[in-house]
Amino acid sequence: MLNFEEELKKFQPSLEVEDIEKAVYQEDLTDMSEILKEVVEKSK
Amino acid sequence: MDIKKKLEYQSNYWYNDGLKRAQIQDMTGAIASLRRSLQYSQSNITARNLLGLLLYGRGEVAEALVQWIISRNFQASGNIAEYYIQKVQSSKSELEVINQVVKKYNQCLQYCSQGGEDLAIIQLKKVVTEHPSFLKAYQLLGLLYLHTEQYGKARQVLRKAHRLDTTDPITLSYLHELNRAQKKKAVSIKEGKEQPAVSYKLGNETIIQPAQGVRENSPMFTIVNIAIGILVGAAVMWFLIMPAVNQSKSQEANESIVEASDQIATQKSEISALKKELEGYRTKSDEAQTAKETAKSTQSSYEALLDVTTKYAAGTESNQNLASTLLSINKDSLGEDGKAQYDKLADSIFPSVCRRQYNRGIASFDVKNYDTAVEALAMVVKMDEEYDDGNAMYVLAQAYEATGDTNNAKTYYQKVTEQFSGTEMAEEAQSKLEALNAAADQNAANQNAAADQNGQGAEDSSSQEQDTTE
Repeated sequence: MLNFEEELKKFQPSLEVEDIEKAVYQEDLTDMSEILKEVVEKSK
Repeated sequence: MDIKKKLEYQSNYWYNDGLKRAQIQDMTGAIASLRRSLQYSQSNITARNLLGLLLYGRGEVAEALVQWIISRNFQASGNIAEYYIQKVQSSKSELEVINQVVKKYNQCLQYCSQGGEDLAIIQLKKVVTEHPSFLKAYQLLGLLYLHTEQYGKARQVLRKAHRLDTTDPITLSYLHELNRAQKKKAVSIKEGKEQPAVSYKLGNETIIQPAQGVRENSPMFTIVNIAIGILVGAAVMWFLIMPAVNQSKSQEANESIVEASDQIATQKSEISALKKELEGYRTKSDEAQTAKETAKSTQSSYEALLDVTTKYAAGTESNQNLASTLLSINKDSLGEDGKAQYDKLADSIFPSVCRRQYNRGIASFDVKNYDTAVEALAMVVKMDEEYDDGNAMYVLAQAYEATGDTNNAKTYYQKVTEQFSGTEMAEEAQSKLEALNAAADQNAANQNAAADQNGQGAEDSSSQEQDTTE
């Protein structure tokens, strides 16, 4: 049996048009190469 | 091969995986592969553009725009993301509608958290109508239908969500839950005889549906339903069918009355025409009878005239008889020649006969032989009313009076007063006429008095008889 309250928590508010710019800036653009660079720099 | 190349290869690998999944409508798997691809290389604009396209397909337009804008920042020229952005922004009204729909969806989430499922359902129905590819709205609506145990509607909504994304775990879990719930319900229906009622929640309201067996198995309800049906049928007969039947009957009666009236009028007119025709025939018959009589009279008159002429010429008959025959002739029925012949004979025969009969009449009157006097003088007056300056008529009137024939007496007295007015004889005739009229009035009065006395006497005798009886 589904737990209605728990299921509701899975639904997050959808992004509105006014918030697109903010979402673009908040988008995490870190990829594997940057992580490797950080790792290499830290190991040095 | 350096690490950068390897990362690009890996990124491309997951892009290809995402593309394959997208081609078989496995949107969730495709999105997951593409996000993994971007983790290896954020600059893989192809993977990002496809990710934006898949998000757009699920109805998440703003998220798609975010991906395309980032993609455009990585590569401004020769990037299909630019086309997508322009395409979405070109229709501002459509974008505005989608934005409003997203706001409503977010509002529905608030309703759900506040316990307003019924409001959320109403709002979500509008959302999916205005934005038919909004996957999350279908899923939330399906969840609400499941929660309120409206399994039929939940199935419809979840099927649409499944068409948009065949592998979305939320949709699949809800469908699974739906199947399970319906199986459970089917089992409970089989065992429904033991359950007094079925209850379920619709929003804030709890609806209790009574078990069908109660209605079906109650003979009392059946009898009541039959009685209500009979009453309704009788009411329909009385208020709808009977007036129509009565109206048709009265209409037929009216038509027959009108037809009978027409027949009567026709027969009356025929009778009237026949009566007129009959009157015409009768008139013709009378005219024919009159003509016949006239012809007979004419014939007899001519025969008598011929007879008198012949006998007068032969000298075989006395003037007395010839005069009698002439007097029997209807002079008006004769023609011009006949009348001339009649006058000629009358001038020859009447004077001598008049003289003889007058003398005879006067003599008879003097000896009070009034009947003979009347016979002789009547013949004289018939031949010549002015004979002896009217004295013949005056004596005739007196003879009639003497015989008691007052009507003829009055007639001849009247003629004397009119034809010989101003003479002493006329005055005497007038006085005798007045005396006769007075005597007639006196007689009438006496008769009335006698009749009254007789009537009174009869009444008195009847009253006396009545008194005696009492």
